[in-house]
Amino acid sequence: MAATTSIETPQKILLTTSDNVELKVDRDVAERSILIKNLLEDLGGEGTEAIPIPNVNEAVMKKVLEWCEQHRKDAPATQDDDSDSRKKSTDIDEWDQKFMQVDQEMLFEIILAANYLDIKALLDVGCKTVANMIKGKSPDEIRKTFNIQNDFTPEEEDQIRRENEWAEDR
Amino acid sequence: MARSRRPQRSPSGSRSDTSASTSPERGVDDDNDSFMMQANDSVSSLAPSIPPEFDNEAARREIEERCRISPISRLPAELMIAIFAKLASPGDLKNCMLVSREWSRNSVGLLWHRPRTDKWSSLHNVVKSVRTVNSFFDYPSLIKRLNLSTLAGDVSDGTLQPLRACKRVERMTLTNCTKLSDLSLVDMIQGNRSLLALDVTGLENITDKTMEAVANNCIRLQGLNITNCKKITDKSLAEVARLCRHVKRLKFNGCSQLTDASIIAFALNCRHILEIDLHDCRLLEDESITALISEGPHLRELRLAHCSRITDNAFLRLPQEATFDSLRILDLTDCGELQDAGIQKIVQAAPRLRNLVLAKCRQLTDRAVLAITRLGKNLHYIHLGHCSRITDAGVIQLVKLCNRIRYIDLACCSNLTDNSVHQLATLPKLKRIGLVKCGNITDRSILALAKPKQAGHNGPVTPSSLERVHLSYCTNLTLAGIHALLNNCPRLTHLSLTGVQAFLREDLIVFCREAPSGSLTLAAEFNDHQRDVFCVFSNHGVTRLRNYLNQDSRISAYEADGTMYDETDEPDVIMNVTAQANIMAIDEMDEDFGENSEVMGQD
Repeated sequence: MAATTSIETPQKILLTTSDNVELKVDRDVAERSILIKNLLEDLGGEGTEAIPIPNVNEAVMKKVLEWCEQHRKDAPATQDDDSDSRKKSTDIDEWDQKFMQVDQEMLFEIILAANYLDIKALLDVGCKTVANMIKGKSPDEIRKTFNIQNDFTPEEEDQIRRENEWAEDR
Repeated sequence: MARSRRPQRSPSGSRSDTSASTSPERGVDDDNDSFMMQANDSVSSLAPSIPPEFDNEAARREIEERCRISPISRLPAELMIAIFAKLASPGDLKNCMLVSREWSRNSVGLLWHRPRTDKWSSLHNVVKSVRTVNSFFDYPSLIKRLNLSTLAGDVSDGTLQPLRACKRVERMTLTNCTKLSDLSLVDMIQGNRSLLALDVTGLENITDKTMEAVANNCIRLQGLNITNCKKITDKSLAEVARLCRHVKRLKFNGCSQLTDASIIAFALNCRHILEIDLHDCRLLEDESITALISEGPHLRELRLAHCSRITDNAFLRLPQEATFDSLRILDLTDCGELQDAGIQKIVQAAPRLRNLVLAKCRQLTDRAVLAITRLGKNLHYIHLGHCSRITDAGVIQLVKLCNRIRYIDLACCSNLTDNSVHQLATLPKLKRIGLVKCGNITDRSILALAKPKQAGHNGPVTPSSLERVHLSYCTNLTLAGIHALLNNCPRLTHLSLTGVQAFLREDLIVFCREAPSGSLTLAAEFNDHQRDVFCVFSNHGVTRLRNYLNQDSRISAYEADGTMYDETDEPDVIMNVTAQANIMAIDEMDEDFGENSEVMGQD
């Protein structure tokens, strides 16, 4: 409802990031985060005091807010927002794709922040982005992509391969 | 060492509220699982998941180092699972399993949630892994969905038995695996406390033994489809009703052996029933129907087609003044005893009905139709085919008061004239209209039907929303009307004109689809004459017919002549009894062909 009350100047709120930086943002933009929205509702009133976001640093928070700004007009997330189209498809709209062109460190920080701040649509885009980095790659290519160490013995690897052979059928 | 068969926590295990549909249409790809649903649980789990035993400085530094080198290690298990859930291909998931131990733990549940069992080669491999004593993971407990319906008739008890170790299957779909018997099914079901939906459609060999196993084990059961299982009796179903109190969706189609005894048991014990389909349960009488409606506060969909013993009393005995607001879909096809009084009571008791199917309730008159008008805007779907006593007066009133109708069928309502169709043409949302064998209607009303609609007085003019139009045996129609219909209904995908002389021309029937043959049961009743008059355009056929009529101006000139190619070959409509019956068969087929899904999907 906050999004519709702001015909005049949008209400501003303050957020304090984990590295103690205060960020001033439009309330409806910040409320893309269900966590922040609920906090604001719990606090009630004007919400003039800064809201601490102890798990997200300034750089990540700014990036997340950039996404929220872009998507401020989107329909609010609902509880049963698990429409089929969103589940398995890894289609991502163009702006979001560009937005996600960041180094891996930032990419996973965004995903963690989206999860913590409860921004389902952003989390979804993040997960899709990573899924797209996995798609079509061999186990070894995946390991290289994400710098993961193979901790299987060759026998174990072989066993898993055999037991899951059916997954290769077309 | 790493091979201890400790049960893996399946990512989806905590999802308890699966809506258990048992209908095969929604079968294969109805994966409702979404990890987003539980993403909220992890609001506070931002840090990488560090098991407690790592609670010392060295280990922490090691993890920090790992996260620095490989940033993805920061993601906790639930987020890795959310990512893997986006991968649709089992091949990709399998590759994830081979990346590292951690990745394999987080992806195995997704991969084995619904293993591939639609090909023998896959199924054999799945069975082999399930039976491996020292398998890397405890695969049997990871399988949540088992669907053998693609292999259907080739599946035997020997196929199913090795899978009996899978005791956490939530959805078991065995549609048309006709060779299966109690032997394997009882084993499969014994000890399974997780089963939510069981579909044993067409398993004619299974008996009360299987259903008793269901009753005694599957306390969470929500959906049961025993279509055409003729050996299951009231006795075991009453047990299911007594012990599986959570059932929501039941399909007993074609179980003509069942009587009121079991259905009343469901009505009295299972208060969560949403849908029950009793198509062709011909022994059912009024008492069970009254009980289902009056005892089931959530009942949304009640299908009673061909339950021919049902009379008005089933409804007249509902409690006075009580209303059943959940009831949306009621199918009373061919409940031939029903009369106007029954319909009046239905409409009063279930004021929010959206779909009402009264085809072949031949005793109904305009009084019933006037009662139905009380449903007003709630009514979206109405079938009055073969209710041949109704007249223009009823239909006109119906359309005026129920202007949200999207689907209407008036086949064989032979009293109807252009006046009805003129009124029907005003429905702003009409998508599908059936006027088969409404012999009085002419091009005049088809032109009205084709006309673009204006919303309100000054509203925008929008093209017709019609998608499916059934006009077979409307013998007065000519090219002029249909041509206009084609050009004004951009969404048209189906047009049936069987038996309409003006279309039985070689240059037009090339756009028709084939007359039914082979696979259809009714095909046997198709004689050569009927093949000759068969004329149904669908999808591309509609487009091609439209283009053809538009490109060739000679056609309209030709049309003006009123001459037909094959006029001389075509016998006039033969009105002896057999021919009449056969024609009915066609119009049935015309109605049913490819339309069922539409009907089913109309919720």
